[in-house]
Amino acid sequence: MPTDTRRLTGPESSQSPYNFAPCSKLDMRNLEVRPDGRSFKQLRPLFLRTDVVSQARGSSYIEMNDTKAICAVYGPREVLRREDFSLKGQLTCDFKFATFSCKQRRQHQQDSQEKDLSVQVLEALEPAVCLHKYPKSQINIFITVLQHDGCALSAAIMCASLALASAGIEMYDLVVASSAAICGSLTLVDPTAQEEETILKSTVKLDANAGSVTVAYLPSMSQVSALSSDGELSFEVLNKSMQECVANCQRLYPVLEQTLVKHQQELEASKS
Amino acid sequence: MAAPMMVCIPGKKICRAGDKYVPGAGTFLRNGFIHSSLVGVVKESTDEKNVKTISVVGKENNSIIPYIDAIVIARVTNVNPRFCKCEILSVGKHNLQDAYRGMIRKEDVRALERDRIEMHKCFRPGDIIAARVMSLGDAQSYLLTTAENELGVVSALSESGVPMVPVTWCKMQCPKTLTEEFRKVAKVQPEFIKFSHS
Amino acid sequence: MTDAELSEAEKTFILHSVQDNFREDGRGNEDFRHMEVETGLISNTNGSARVRLANTDVLVGVKVQLTAVDPEKPEVGRLDFFIDCSANATPAFEGRGGEDLGSEISAMLTRAYSCPSAVDFHSLCVLPGQQCWLLYVDVLLLECGGNLFDAVSIAVKAALFNLKIPNVTMTKDEGGVELDLSDDPFDFKRLNVAGAPVVVTVNKIGHKHVVDASEKEEECTLARIILGVTEKGTITSMRKEGSGSLDSDSISEMMESARKVGMELNKILLKALEEEEKQGAKTVGFLR
Repeated sequence: MPTDTRRLTGPESSQSPYNFAPCSKLDMRNLEVRPDGRSFKQLRPLFLRTDVVSQARGSSYIEMNDTKAICAVYGPREVLRREDFSLKGQLTCDFKFATFSCKQRRQHQQDSQEKDLSVQVLEALEPAVCLHKYPKSQINIFITVLQHDGCALSAAIMCASLALASAGIEMYDLVVASSAAICGSLTLVDPTAQEEETILKSTVKLDANAGSVTVAYLPSMSQVSALSSDGELSFEVLNKSMQECVANCQRLYPVLEQTLVKHQQELEASKS
Repeated sequence: MAAPMMVCIPGKKICRAGDKYVPGAGTFLRNGFIHSSLVGVVKESTDEKNVKTISVVGKENNSIIPYIDAIVIARVTNVNPRFCKCEILSVGKHNLQDAYRGMIRKEDVRALERDRIEMHKCFRPGDIIAARVMSLGDAQSYLLTTAENELGVVSALSESGVPMVPVTWCKMQCPKTLTEEFRKVAKVQPEFIKFSHS
Repeated sequence: MTDAELSEAEKTFILHSVQDNFREDGRGNEDFRHMEVETGLISNTNGSARVRLANTDVLVGVKVQLTAVDPEKPEVGRLDFFIDCSANATPAFEGRGGEDLGSEISAMLTRAYSCPSAVDFHSLCVLPGQQCWLLYVDVLLLECGGNLFDAVSIAVKAALFNLKIPNVTMTKDEGGVELDLSDDPFDFKRLNVAGAPVVVTVNKIGHKHVVDASEKEEECTLARIILGVTEKGTITSMRKEGSGSLDSDSISEMMESARKVGMELNKILLKALEEEEKQGAKTVGFLR
């Protein structure tokens, strides 16, 4: 593992004391109410705000109860490395969990999961950005998850799409994302970290169908721009939960729209 | 226009494109409709043929990058006998947040007597120049040209560090020491002055 | 990923061929290319396999090591994937060039193998709460000819099938743990890979989709979905890759194709591996 020699790092691996505590996992088979009192099909309230980082070209903040993320967009700016030259603009994305954001402490360097998520956020946004309008330039997206309580990927995608829009980057569409966790006949929309972990980190087979799905959706084009599933799911269940996620994305879209419209109206009002 | 302000978000359908309406800046065309590609307010402009151009105007500081035929203001960083390098500071009226690298080749400095050009008699590092983007260039830099009367050095310091005054199209004079230095001087037009002050 | 640059005309040709379900090498849209699988060819590993899928060549070695258990999962063993994109395959991999691709493939494999039914992780635990096996699955790309994800996953499954884990007995004394390794080289256990997934990549080209895309076809695609498919037809993980977007109907169709192809692929692979095992075919090696 590469280590940063400029810092004093802790021991190579350490454990959270809560790992040794009696299991905090949910009993999925007899789950009747979700721990936070939501119904199975209920999304968490979504709070969004744009222009929160003053130096950045565009930025945004997202909150879904205890999942909180912040995103900043810089650019378009010149590509410095010569070999990266292309006549189409380039999008880069840097996804990071803050070291204190999860139950287990994160390293300050990007680990493989964060790299994987960076690529997924990038691929979710790429179809939406008019990259041909930014030749020889790059647009950098930086996402930091401040607090992780499930659905980090969908929160990051929405946050980044809002930040791009507020940066004035030309886009074909906004990107909305939504997740669902599945266990047997139960579909838990917008799962929390506890629900996600119970299903995905189980070492015994909970059910023939146990997993989670995340979908990123371009609402005005009706296209899916990112799709990711974990765990083991049958084709039919996967298909059904994918459709459900798409429906949830359509429900979330007005929230994003209103955030941007309200902010723009405020700007216009302050101008005149 | 007295109509209420219409705020758009990326992807929002504005109207059908046709003979009467054409997409302008901040919009794109999909399936015969004009869609917005920015967050901003819809603006209409009508030309003499009664064709309306629909555009979306977003934030003040639009994410602009140098484009072909744009007039840019740049600072010279490096001069050598074949070309001079500069950093582009603004495009049209918009200041850039990050400078882009530009290059003026020897043959693009002026329109006449192109084979007699001596680079160090045209530009010095630190000069502020007005130039036109000729092409997107290579991986390194944009290609710029100053081969117009209105283009060239706009502001330069003399060896004693005083802003110089243009005397001819190829000379500038230091008001303190009265020494003359060679430059490819721009005949600055009023619209350029507006650029640099806005 | 590739250095095959295609002209517009070539792209159109490929697009049309996919449209007509008759691809440039004569295959249909849901056909795989010729594939060769060979196992047990590297002596220093506990299990190894090599897969050659047309021009794609992949070598996998699995080494087992003992390690302390993960406190979050104290009763199971672990798998660790590493993909080495050697510069032998293409000069673009030189230095750190192949790193992104490598981590992408290993992330996909990790996810595909992360469900409890993929392999029997409990059998990889030596002493619950203390020691378990850590299987280092190291993949070396020898040649790239398109469809790396699928070829790698097939090779990994074959290598895990071939895996021979020495029998170790561990006992707890008052002084600590005592480890006893049998000195009989034939005293080993095997891993059941019946539930292990193979990865199927479905590339969207024009309005249709193809499996097992060649390098040229990969150039023509803007979006693909990559799925882990088990023998029973369940999907163990999925992700969309590429800069394009897809509509949800075509995703369903692509998933259906992947499931069909994946189930068949699993069946054929397992049959071939069992046959090879029975015959005890002599190793062919790299020179044919």
